[in-house]
Amino acid sequence: MEKVGDESSTKVCEYLTFRLDREEYGIDILKVQEIRGYEPPTRIANAPSFIKGVVNLRGTIVPIVDMRLKFNCANAQYDSFTVVIILNLHQRIVGIVVDSVSDVMGLVPDQMRGAPDIESIIDSDSIIGLGSLGERMLILLDIEKLMSGLDMGLIAEAS
Amino acid sequence: MAETHHESGGSSADFDLSQFYQIFFEEAGENLDLMEQMLLGLNLETADDEVLNGIFRCAHSVKGGAATFGFSDVAELTHQMESLLDKLRRHELKPNALMVDVLLESADASRGLLACHQSGNVGQGPATANLVSRIRSFVAGEVPPAAEVKPPEAPKVAPVVTPAVLSPAPVSSGGLRHLEIRFTKLDQPTQADAIVELFRDIPGLGEIKPIAVNGGAADRRVFEVQTTSSNEDLLDLFAFHVSREHVDIVDMPAPGGQEVSNDGVVAPGVSQVGIAPPAADASQQGFGFFDGAPGSPQPQGAEAAPVAAALADVGVAKAVQSAAKPPAISNAQPEAATIRVAINKVDQLINLVGELVITQAMLAQNSRALDPAVYQQLLTGLTDLDRNTRDLQESVMSIRMIPMSIVFSRFPRMLRDLASKLGKKVDFVTQGEATELDKGLVEKITDPLTHLVRNSCDHGIESPQDRVRAGKPETGTITLSASHQGGSIVIEVRDDGKGMSRQKILTKARERGLDVSDQMSDAEVWQLIFAPGFSTADVVTDVSGRGVGMDVVKRNIASLNGTVEIESSEGYGMKVSVRLPLTLAIMDGMSVGVGNEVYILPLSSVVESFQVKSDTVSTVGQGAQLVKVRDEYMPVIELEKVFQVPRYDSDKTSDIMVVIEADSSRVVLLVDELLGQQQVVVKNLESNYRKVPNVSGATILGDGKVALILDTGALVRRSRH
Repeated sequence: MEKVGDESSTKVCEYLTFRLDREEYGIDILKVQEIRGYEPPTRIANAPSFIKGVVNLRGTIVPIVDMRLKFNCANAQYDSFTVVIILNLHQRIVGIVVDSVSDVMGLVPDQMRGAPDIESIIDSDSIIGLGSLGERMLILLDIEKLMSGLDMGLIAEAS
Repeated sequence: MAETHHESGGSSADFDLSQFYQIFFEEAGENLDLMEQMLLGLNLETADDEVLNGIFRCAHSVKGGAATFGFSDVAELTHQMESLLDKLRRHELKPNALMVDVLLESADASRGLLACHQSGNVGQGPATANLVSRIRSFVAGEVPPAAEVKPPEAPKVAPVVTPAVLSPAPVSSGGLRHLEIRFTKLDQPTQADAIVELFRDIPGLGEIKPIAVNGGAADRRVFEVQTTSSNEDLLDLFAFHVSREHVDIVDMPAPGGQEVSNDGVVAPGVSQVGIAPPAADASQQGFGFFDGAPGSPQPQGAEAAPVAAALADVGVAKAVQSAAKPPAISNAQPEAATIRVAINKVDQLINLVGELVITQAMLAQNSRALDPAVYQQLLTGLTDLDRNTRDLQESVMSIRMIPMSIVFSRFPRMLRDLASKLGKKVDFVTQGEATELDKGLVEKITDPLTHLVRNSCDHGIESPQDRVRAGKPETGTITLSASHQGGSIVIEVRDDGKGMSRQKILTKARERGLDVSDQMSDAEVWQLIFAPGFSTADVVTDVSGRGVGMDVVKRNIASLNGTVEIESSEGYGMKVSVRLPLTLAIMDGMSVGVGNEVYILPLSSVVESFQVKSDTVSTVGQGAQLVKVRDEYMPVIELEKVFQVPRYDSDKTSDIMVVIEADSSRVVLLVDELLGQQQVVVKNLESNYRKVPNVSGATILGDGKVALILDTGALVRRSRH
């Protein structure tokens, strides 16, 4: 039996927010396995430019996707502050490179808006909605859908 | 390199199977559990084919294993279960609750029998005669009368020993009958010999002794039998080997005072001890085939004799003492010599150790700058850490890797028994036993390989007469070989038997309504034998021919991401190649540098390497490059171009050539430098990423970086196009 007061709090979704250039994105915190510093990956020939290669994550070979290149950000620099978010999606592990990780936000349904139809490099199916936090606007990504898209080249096309 | 091991099928091979008993018991237990689950979940109205096939496969696996290890009572029972399940899955019978009951009881009984074998107390398991006959009546399509469906016969490991049975005082033979059974007008008198085995295999059925037939009639066999079973039960049992009209059962007067009481209580082990009248008889029963097997007939026979002697000579007290021993042993839980651990736990362990090694390497590197005089203790500690980590890594890796010889050494004995059973002469040759294979793979590859080897022996190798007639040596050869090839492990089962008949397979396929045409290539035709239920065997034996083997083989291998290929030539034999990917196998690799990148070449495919000047490379047509190596022109592949390696230092060019061989052709790879040779652990790229062209996997170098392992097979194929 739930108390009435708890009802809204149970619907709070927690999002890990990160920055790409000046945009702020949020992804479901439950999909995040860990956050690491960037280390140069092993390049893979003939892969799309945003796939930086593979790294060794405690014995597992993990591909690294640079979201800044994927989303056509102006510059993608690698320094000691560059961060890799390790995601665990359907038993597959993938790392994404972002400019910086901000914090973890709890959003209640009131704070969430539907995504308007806009022309964007991100497939609109992969956007859950927009999170409004005062002045800040969070782009909430369905990271699972985004990563399993064929254009990501992370999984082989069904032959 | 590849060791060759000969094991003649005919000679007496003193080969120790005991190391595999534990594995078999565990596997059989798992299979029985699985079967029980599926039976319980079976929807009788709309029985799912997949589930029925699954149950059938479980029974088949248990039977196969039991037969291999000589646990004939289990094999007999599961063989019956299999027959019933076969009819069910072919929809010749409709499953009903009674069948499920009897199958569940049989599974319990098998478990009990296995437990007895495991603890070494043969004959103490539950009686199976009743179950066997009930299953048979189901198979025959009859519904057994309710009265015959007795309550489950206490599927307990150690049956309660009733004092009455142990009493040495001769009591009138309650329920024990003396019979003379005559088999007449037999087509093959050897059929009747199977009856003797039946009595041996089914505990509690009784005793059988052949009686010499006067006049030497070849089509007759007469046996003297002591049993508690009814005529009807016996006929049911015999029906499997000899049809009813050839059997004649006559009651005989009991030979006075020889037997000890058996009050008909189902306590098979003890009752056998009690009956075994002359000690000579008991030792006759032990064929000595399975010396050392837990629960082999021999020790039982040997034990029975002293017990019988004690009963006769010394009297009650001693008899009770010696007879009380076996139950005490069976109460002790068999201690497990191995533990089964989930693979992912081992994987986790390996990964953690891998990380530890990297951390240790980092510490070692950072500590080099320290002054030994000041930090002596710290440095000593680090040296210890270095050694300990290395030892730890080695032992953890060795958990998973085992040589193929573990699998291969299962087969000589199985083949020997099989060959003598089928009246064939077979030589068994193994190659590449030292090839190391991941434990997980070994466990999963054993069953399919067993099927393949059995098939080769049963269907492939002809009888000695046929072989001589075909101008071949009398003794057939089955070769089992393992090798690393192009990033895979290839296990081949070859025989020089009769091969497969294309026409026969096509005909069978049409009979089964499969979509086939005469234009199909050989390879496509051979693939047909992997269809469930497909068999070209004319006779179903308990060895093979039910058409279950290849379907399971294919399924098991596919689940390991492997492939099966068949080559066959009618009259000359066939070869089945199982190709498995390296999920986690250690490989000898040669690391080469191209630009700033490191790639690993499988050392097994490296032939030689040498330095060249750029003018020795000649080009053909559109720029294909060739280099002359000792009078042979070989295509050149520039790794720099294939992998689009960026060049920061434009002066440097690749000038080292490495000759590699794969799929029996050679190409030359152009690299910058040779970095060294090392053992690498092959990691799968596809688990988190996707297949990368020309790359078979990845590995982690000593410094924690990832290096890609080149797929030499793909590179060679690339040069052809």
